[in-house]
Amino acid sequence: MDATSHITLASLAQQVLVGLSRTTILFIVSSGLSLILGVLRIPNLSHGSLYMIGAFVTYSAAVFIGGSTGFWLALIIAPAVVALLSLAVERGLLRFLYDREHLMLLLFTFALTLVFGDLVKLIWGSDYRSLTAPPLLQGSFDLAGLPFPRYNLFLLLLGPLVALGLWLLTNKTKIGKLAKAAAVDREMVAAMGINVSWVFAAVFCIGCFLAGLGGALVAPTQNITQGMDHTIIMEAFLIVIIGGLGNMWGALLGALIFGLTDAIGILVWPQFAIVFPYVAVVVVLVFRPKGLLQSTW
Amino acid sequence: MLSVRGLKKYFGHFKAVSDANLTVNQGEVVAVIGPNGAGKTTLFRLISGQLKPSGGEIIFKGRPIGGLAPHQVCRRGISLSYQVVSVFGRMSVFENVQVAVLARRRQVHRLFTPARRLAVDETWEILESVGLQDRAQAVSGSLSHGDGKLLEMAIALGNRPELLIMDEPTAGMSPEETQATIELIRRLTQKMGLTILLCEHDMELVFSVADRIMVMQSGRTIAEGACDQVRCNQQVQQAYLGEPADA
Amino acid sequence: MLENIKNHRGLWVVAGLALLLAFWPSLVPRFYVYLVSLMLVTGLLATSLNLVLGFGGLYQFHHAVFYGVGAYGAALMIKWSGLSPWWGLLVGPLAAALLSLVIGIICVRLSQLYYGMLQISLGSLVWAIVFRWYSFTGGDDGIHGIAVPGAIASVSGAYWFTLAVTAACLLVMYLVINSPFGRVLMATRDNSERAEMIGVHLIGHQLIALVIAGFFGGVAGVLFVVVEGSVFPDMMFWTLSLEILVMCLLGGWFTFMGPMLGAAMMVGLRTVVGIYTEYWTLVLGVILMLLIFFLPQGVLGFIGAKRTPAMAHSRRED
Repeated sequence: MDATSHITLASLAQQVLVGLSRTTILFIVSSGLSLILGVLRIPNLSHGSLYMIGAFVTYSAAVFIGGSTGFWLALIIAPAVVALLSLAVERGLLRFLYDREHLMLLLFTFALTLVFGDLVKLIWGSDYRSLTAPPLLQGSFDLAGLPFPRYNLFLLLLGPLVALGLWLLTNKTKIGKLAKAAAVDREMVAAMGINVSWVFAAVFCIGCFLAGLGGALVAPTQNITQGMDHTIIMEAFLIVIIGGLGNMWGALLGALIFGLTDAIGILVWPQFAIVFPYVAVVVVLVFRPKGLLQSTW
Repeated sequence: MLSVRGLKKYFGHFKAVSDANLTVNQGEVVAVIGPNGAGKTTLFRLISGQLKPSGGEIIFKGRPIGGLAPHQVCRRGISLSYQVVSVFGRMSVFENVQVAVLARRRQVHRLFTPARRLAVDETWEILESVGLQDRAQAVSGSLSHGDGKLLEMAIALGNRPELLIMDEPTAGMSPEETQATIELIRRLTQKMGLTILLCEHDMELVFSVADRIMVMQSGRTIAEGACDQVRCNQQVQQAYLGEPADA
Repeated sequence: MLENIKNHRGLWVVAGLALLLAFWPSLVPRFYVYLVSLMLVTGLLATSLNLVLGFGGLYQFHHAVFYGVGAYGAALMIKWSGLSPWWGLLVGPLAAALLSLVIGIICVRLSQLYYGMLQISLGSLVWAIVFRWYSFTGGDDGIHGIAVPGAIASVSGAYWFTLAVTAACLLVMYLVINSPFGRVLMATRDNSERAEMIGVHLIGHQLIALVIAGFFGGVAGVLFVVVEGSVFPDMMFWTLSLEILVMCLLGGWFTFMGPMLGAAMMVGLRTVVGIYTEYWTLVLGVILMLLIFFLPQGVLGFIGAKRTPAMAHSRRED
């Protein structure tokens, strides 16, 4: 635990900011997962695969188009591709299973995970890819004597925007209100003459769009590899659970807890940094087994 | 045998039961009546331990049982048969009753004795007493509603309770099934000496089997006594029996 | 038991299979001996999961953690303690049972999906520790060349040991499921609230089942060490847990032998598919989808539904 003595206020602040920008990505991914859990009651394990596909598509689109424009366009193209893919899966397969028990739905999305994982291997091969951010977001600026990456600042600014967008979507649009009503009582919404099936399709699509967006945003910050789906999905699930199933603000809170404990863990005890967020999750769940905020279940 | 005094249960600001009083003596059939939402089911859930009381006391055989866990209440000798059919759906009718018998005999922690040899005769007796012996091997989830209600009672009897609580035993039954249930209740009290506490909307049933009646309204006991006494009670007539729709 | 064999055609199949397995190493090349060992180990793991999943109704999403802890318990004991390796084989399952008790105490008051998610997060915490603690557990490399006792170190020696232990464990679990304890466990699965109302201490009963399942999961882990001579953290990664869930589903999770059958099919299929393509998980995913859509009762559940079993309860004094 030698490292502890080297912690300064500046390095702590820097690490917290890095943690916060990672929180943004975790929030975007897990809010999508939470939305699907809350409305459709599906524990979607393939969410992580869609995130991975988002990252790979971002890479390919950015490289194909080229330049700064390539990156910015890829940020839109990748989530859209993921959303279309999810729509096809939902309409083609998933919607026939809505009356099954949770365990079957979970296993079905696990099957999707297996298929998507190998499809990525089939299309992009087993090598990892890396993508550089456009010049505007490259490099870092000075933060009390320590460098802070510009891309992280970009993520920090984007997080609240996505949260606001999601809030507007769920509270101010017709589809959002319908989804909320359907989450509470499917029969009632159906009785109002509304096609619940399509509400579900739309919600599933939006949730997966967020997974794709998360993947697109993470692409320049790390190697894009096979297996990134397994890590993110477990993290996203834990975030959703500690926040409260189906609660968007819960996803934000959970992502903050997860991102910050991870960042502080890296600073305090790098070897076991991975353990910190898990411990935080266990502590939260032991005291509040149903999550911190009100679940929509 | 059972004595409930000033029992209260609040859900937040909602007073489901605000002042329930009830006495059940050994060998009696006591009926709780009252309009929907009067707190009858909540009262039963409080006695059986599924809910913890907010106040008041429940005394069974001289000892307080308010706030005990359901399995503890059960072991003291109180069984409850549900209003809705709530059985072990993937198991056979026989096994449903057998499990209750095994639980009463405290044999549930036997890990290596084959269950098929245990409690067989007693289980058959109970099945025969409610008339389910022909359906013994059927999967309980596939029973008709009437048979399901009988199985409900059979499971409760498997605990060989001293006090059997029945939450609307004839809800959803056909007239013939209702008649059979009335006879079953009589048989249970007369031959087996069981004490029964029930709630029911079917007044014909209530007046034909009950020794005494307790009337609830809005979570309070408004009358308690012998059938004729309660029938004549002004307040009761206004609150419940006097409703033209019920005549 | 004798009466059972008369009544159940399934047990004749088991008896024939047992005979085949008894002479297996003298019939086939070494690779197939190893393969069947692996099937038995995986089958034992899946059966132990099914004890709480199919018969207990508990959403045990991360059962592989007990497999891993059993294996690591044995491997670490052999590597660090200097005692006879047989002690390691004993410590593994006990460690797994203890962990199962601890995780169980924390999770068991929750229901269904919440139980599953908390269980998976606690399991992942154990995985994370093992994965990172290089100096003790070997980190992501795992531990290789574990010195198992000489008598069972050869391929056929490991096979005999695995076969004997698996058969004994299956027998014990069969007895448990058909005991009063097992009946009551099924009752808690079907209707936990009602089970409490007939006098069952729900949480206590579920905890005992979890400890039993964890113990046998640990036994499977130890057998893996005997067969492979190595351990690695992937043994307790959550994807393996879901794979054994799939095995239970494939074989049929309301049947006793279903998980064993499912595990044998999966291990066999993986080997066969592996010859032709590297895309095994794609094949597995498609199989799983087909299962969910067309055979949600599993293979044995499907066969069982075709010929309704006679559940004869003879009237005889106990």
